[in-house]
Amino acid sequence: MASEEEARDRARRAVEIALAAGASDAEARIVIARRFSAQARGERITKLDASDGRSLSMRLFLDGRKASMTGTQWSDEAIRFGVEKALEQARYTAVDPYAGLPEPGEIPDRELALYDLAIDARADEERLEDVRRVERSIRAADPRIDNSNGSHYDDASVTMALANSRGRLGSYRGTQIGVSASPVASEGRYKRTAHYGSASRFLARLDEPEEIAREAVRRTILFYGATKPRTQSTAVIFDREVAAAVLTDIFAACSAANVAVGNSWLVDRIGERIGSDLVDLLDDGTIPGALGSSPFDAEGVPSQRTPVFERGVLRSFLFDTYYARRLGARSTGNASGGGIGPNTFFLAPGKRSLEELIAATARGILVLETIGFATEHASGLYSRGARGIEIRDGELTEPIEEFTIAAPFPEILAGVDAVANDLKFDGSITSPSFRVAEMQISGSPSAL
Amino acid sequence: MADDPLTAQTAQRTLARALRDGGAYADLFCERRSSVQMRLQEGAMHEAGLSQVLGAGVRVVVGESAGYAYIEDLTEERLLEAAARAAAIARLTAEGSSRSARLQRLHRAGDALYDRARTENAEPMHLANLLERADAAARKVDTRIVAVNAHVLDELQEIWIARSDGSFRYDRRPMVTLGVQCIARSDRERGTGYCADGGRTSMTFFQSTTPEELARESARVAVVNAEARPAPAGEFETLLGAGGGGVLLHEAVGHGLEGDFNRRGVSLYSGRIGERVASELVTIYDDGDIPEERGSTSFDDEGTPCGHTVLVERGVLRGYLHDELNARLMGMHSTGNGRRQSYRHLPQPRMCNTYMPPGDAQLDEMIASIDRGIYAKSFAGGQVDIGKGDFVFMIAEGYLIERGRLGAAVRNATIVGNGPDAMTKVTAVGNDARLARRHYTCGKGGQYVPVGVGMPTLQISAMSVGGTDGE
Repeated sequence: MASEEEARDRARRAVEIALAAGASDAEARIVIARRFSAQARGERITKLDASDGRSLSMRLFLDGRKASMTGTQWSDEAIRFGVEKALEQARYTAVDPYAGLPEPGEIPDRELALYDLAIDARADEERLEDVRRVERSIRAADPRIDNSNGSHYDDASVTMALANSRGRLGSYRGTQIGVSASPVASEGRYKRTAHYGSASRFLARLDEPEEIAREAVRRTILFYGATKPRTQSTAVIFDREVAAAVLTDIFAACSAANVAVGNSWLVDRIGERIGSDLVDLLDDGTIPGALGSSPFDAEGVPSQRTPVFERGVLRSFLFDTYYARRLGARSTGNASGGGIGPNTFFLAPGKRSLEELIAATARGILVLETIGFATEHASGLYSRGARGIEIRDGELTEPIEEFTIAAPFPEILAGVDAVANDLKFDGSITSPSFRVAEMQISGSPSAL
Repeated sequence: MADDPLTAQTAQRTLARALRDGGAYADLFCERRSSVQMRLQEGAMHEAGLSQVLGAGVRVVVGESAGYAYIEDLTEERLLEAAARAAAIARLTAEGSSRSARLQRLHRAGDALYDRARTENAEPMHLANLLERADAAARKVDTRIVAVNAHVLDELQEIWIARSDGSFRYDRRPMVTLGVQCIARSDRERGTGYCADGGRTSMTFFQSTTPEELARESARVAVVNAEARPAPAGEFETLLGAGGGGVLLHEAVGHGLEGDFNRRGVSLYSGRIGERVASELVTIYDDGDIPEERGSTSFDDEGTPCGHTVLVERGVLRGYLHDELNARLMGMHSTGNGRRQSYRHLPQPRMCNTYMPPGDAQLDEMIASIDRGIYAKSFAGGQVDIGKGDFVFMIAEGYLIERGRLGAAVRNATIVGNGPDAMTKVTAVGNDARLARRHYTCGKGGQYVPVGVGMPTLQISAMSVGGTDGE
């Protein structure tokens, strides 16, 4: 695989080519990735993919106009061809006083622990053994597991390099590894399935295959006999994975790209108290070892820690250089290449365990899965299909499914009245489990 | 356009290397994709970009297993390395001993489904003009329109597929999309509207379906949503709108009939061909050969011609959607539904264009027959759990029905149901069947492919609506 040095050279060369072709400024980003992924089902390895990929993404500026170009070919000739076409396109864009590269600056040398040699050094047979262990364990864990949608293993080693025409130059290397299970149990005509996995930058921090299998099986079996709840208004505890999905929508509303065009329910609300005291939402690209960490963002701006909500008060949106200039702020290091993206966007954890939260809930629902997407960020209404367990007098009781939960986002944030301590930095948007005092549940007709 | 990146000789040697260590079948998928896109925001041309992608993937199949490797540096040396890596699956299982047949002459697809004459992407000036027209038209609709965001894409995908059975095919697939998003603001709320169209055609499509038409539709929906009241919560009799309502068929039935889930026995439709699975008013087809639809291709991403597949006929399950691997393992034939996002992905059985033919009910009679219900006119997307059949879809434009009349607009809400259950609760099928505007994309196993959907208005006796208005 190419070294960081080679990737930086290629990025620098791409910038030179762009300037020679007439660009007033240019930026090149190179990603080189080695990926391994495998699937096991039953006794067999059913998929094995070992590939090397690469991509080049460029932003070109032409006297206040801009265009982008992406591709997989990076001979000088291919780059020149793409750059010339992109510059031609740039002539049709509007002159935009905010367009441009970040102000010149250095990328601080910071040790973020992103790379694990143990992952790159693995033999294929070790990788396959992990996924076989998961697959064997799901079948051993419970006799009701009679099938599998396939257990998965994947790891990747990614080199990223960035150069721009204002002298910014940087690179880093990171690894990631993930293992997941998807057991299937028959219940009459239906097949019960659940998906559960573990992901990390470090091999040693990954959950054991048996542990992953056990949790996936538990989540499959517990929905046996699930019924549709009645339509009601009740407390909802979001389990950490669905809590992260809720945060994904909140992130979109915090993105300056949405705020700038009015496509966010948070427009004009900086400084306002929106959430409860327990709502501390942050974006942080500097957490050592976290999957969402990196030394700099897609335009070479150093990563930082940005409080977005502090004790329920909206403090900041998340910016790249362009939207920061437009809205009179500073980039928060959230450029993601074609938009604004999270580093690690998370809700600060509380002190109690999820079990303690449940025990402290007189009546409510623990939501374990949600389905649906397509939130309308302008109005900020949350509505999802869901599956979970009823809570009565602090105890988990019957499984329930085929219902929806809904509330406007401001009411969700204002209603957060307990946050658990189960935060893990295993994704770029992650959350501890949390409870919302009251949400609308729609199921079967409510009893009179 | 540039020369072929792959010669028959190189393809032949790559396939021979792929099967050297065993295996039943191998293929080589080579793709060149070039696209241009532009985006207009706040009345100004905000973004322009292009993408030029070239790559190839080698697959070796043994039983239900597949080995794969892709590369982007298309030299013969690297292709042979990729073939050797893909062959690891055969070394692992030590089964199969096929040889690759001599490749036939490259077969170039005909023009039956889409115009293949175009070899260059559209001119940026043309794209910019379409966006400016859309922007101007949307702003004229209503003073409550506060933001317009329009995007346009023109893409050409060329593919070469060489298979160890000797088949060697080439196609050039066009795709265009023009989409307009509007945000309206009323005293009470912001509302969003989105409208897009296009398909496997060229920019000339927008001479008949004009940017103004799409912009006005998007702006209209935005204003409706800005003035809409919260949707109710609970179970309601529901009308699903013609065209885009086809998202229901896609989620509630289509995914559950894909061959991989059924071969593994993890779908609730597994082993049920010939059984009644829906009201006898329900018939569902999947066609890969409707001209210019997003899900149509001359042949699929495994080189198998696309055609017409009967999934459900008058309530009875008739067939599954197959790619080569799953069809072979089930003793069936591929239906031409082996699709992949790109050369970086293995093929999966996927829907092409899924739709229901017309019934005989009139929309106004269907509305008049409902005492209290919801008319979900269009949808923003959906999702399904294959094993249980539970699905959701998100209403993009919806109205209350009260005492047989259309009432107030309701804000975006999720509808949840169970596929087989909802399909038995179909009580009327409209005479207004049509294909939806062409902008749907389907996600499965991390791969996204363009699809089409269509449906007449459908009346369903009970569905759960996820609103916030709890009576």
